[in-house]
Amino acid sequence: MKYLDKSIKEINELLKNKTIKPIDLVEEAFEKIEKNKDLNAYITLNKEQALKDAKELENIEVDNILFGLPIAVKDNIVTKDLLTTCASHILDNFTPIYDATVVEKLKEHHMIIIGKTNMDEFAMGSSSRTSYFGAPKNPWNKEKIAGGSSGGSATTIAAHDVLFALGSDTGGSIRQPASYCGIVGMKPTYGRVSRYGLVAFASSLDQIGPMTRNVYENAILLNAIVASDEKDLTSARKEKEDFTRLIGEQIRGMKIAVPNYFMSDIVDINIREKIEEIIKLLEQKGAVVDYIDVKYLENAVTLYQIIAMGEASSNLARFDGIRYGHAKENPESITDLYYGTRQEGFGQEVKRRIMVGSYLLSGENAKTYYNKALSIRDDMKKALEKVFEKYDLIIGPTTTTTAYNLTDSMDDPRKSFMDDVLVIPVNMAGLPGLNIPVGFSKDKMPIGMQIIGNAFEEAKMYKLASFIEKELNLDLNPFGGEKND
Amino acid sequence: MKDKLSKEEVMHVAELAKIKISEEEVEKYQVELKQLLNDVEKINDVKGYDEDILIAPWTDKTSLRKDERGIMLQPKEVLENAPRHSGNYIEVPVVISEGEGA
Repeated sequence: MKYLDKSIKEINELLKNKTIKPIDLVEEAFEKIEKNKDLNAYITLNKEQALKDAKELENIEVDNILFGLPIAVKDNIVTKDLLTTCASHILDNFTPIYDATVVEKLKEHHMIIIGKTNMDEFAMGSSSRTSYFGAPKNPWNKEKIAGGSSGGSATTIAAHDVLFALGSDTGGSIRQPASYCGIVGMKPTYGRVSRYGLVAFASSLDQIGPMTRNVYENAILLNAIVASDEKDLTSARKEKEDFTRLIGEQIRGMKIAVPNYFMSDIVDINIREKIEEIIKLLEQKGAVVDYIDVKYLENAVTLYQIIAMGEASSNLARFDGIRYGHAKENPESITDLYYGTRQEGFGQEVKRRIMVGSYLLSGENAKTYYNKALSIRDDMKKALEKVFEKYDLIIGPTTTTTAYNLTDSMDDPRKSFMDDVLVIPVNMAGLPGLNIPVGFSKDKMPIGMQIIGNAFEEAKMYKLASFIEKELNLDLNPFGGEKND
Repeated sequence: MKDKLSKEEVMHVAELAKIKISEEEVEKYQVELKQLLNDVEKINDVKGYDEDILIAPWTDKTSLRKDERGIMLQPKEVLENAPRHSGNYIEVPVVISEGEGA
């Protein structure tokens, strides 16, 4: 019996009337993960503890809709007593001594952590191929990338191993792999979800978010992880809200903007055509859709390179071989310990970014590059805010192509940035962005659409996303299982 | 515009980042870092923006934490992650050797 193919409402009922126990769900998840082992979605499995947790839940009343459900957590989110590597050799022996705030939230909801998912090393990359543990594979075609950096989380959801995963998104790292793998991925508004316990890459851009097989479950998981947190200075002090509350509403009268840049020839023609189909559908259903120009969108990658690499070089200075993680054997001096540890511990992509970042922040360069980037970033945010004075949402494609081959060259250091050209502006402005699958390419690879909302308007995005999901009613199981609700 | 950095420039950047790099790596980085830096130069082509800067997209008013005792990490568990430790101390190589210093 496959319980994890049912809707979460059904599963919740079965748990409540004791037809099934949490351990049935956990065992089923591990069976599936074992069967899909070749996808390389996980760095660490938490089997023993997960089974123990499930047993303990048998003595507790089912108190919420996420009760007893297995969840996968990206390996840059710290989990007490469970290896957290960031897919890096420098942390491959690191066992955290506390839980990230989001992990505490999962545990409060009695969810069961099934394992830690594969990713680009320190979330730096767009194909998860910079992982020290090898790349995860795309369930739709195992010769293709899953995308990145939250590639393992996207893979395990797309493969229907589990219903829930957490990812993190610094420059598209939830939405882009969600698009390549045909799942729903939300990067919430900056500040919505606590970053305490997320290993920092670029602190002013990073945000944790839910990755799921459908829109409703995504909103439910966001409900659970949102919290004001005094341990995160950038956490927003907001009243609790129900992100599912607008799901099912009609979209008549909604005003939607499509930036011309998002539909320019940087995007594959087949993807543009698919998005145009969706636009026609929305218009038929009474939404107003306008094509508009938004200033500075084409500069987003440059801003990202400067800000993300600069912040990364500072954040990753903490890996010194002294307090935790890998250390060089028999160092001759303290300097040899620092330099040698970082030489051995970091992979190529990370080294490149730290070096360029250190350079960009050094001496006069801070003014020439970093400060200038922050100025343009401010203008870009204002330009996007202006759009929301008139429109409810912005839409466009999530990626410029569908997932490419795992064997494609990794020689061009600029490639991983260009893959994220359409998803980076959202991080720059701190806005929420969501990927929803809208169809397939000729070679049966998923195509995703991005929905961008104004700050703290995630509920409105879920409304449009669920409407599209229902209209399209796509079969999103690559292995052709039972259809989900 | 030259298409690669000099060896000295690469060594300087590696020094800033506190990363040791091998001879072969220097050659590779001469090209790769230059490619990234060329990209970054495009920032100088952007015009028309004002001087205001955005450091973080969202910041609430700083609020003070309640002055009360919370859960503290225990030295033993913290030290377990340190590659070299002894008693309640983290060990590091000698920083100032005999004869050096004041």
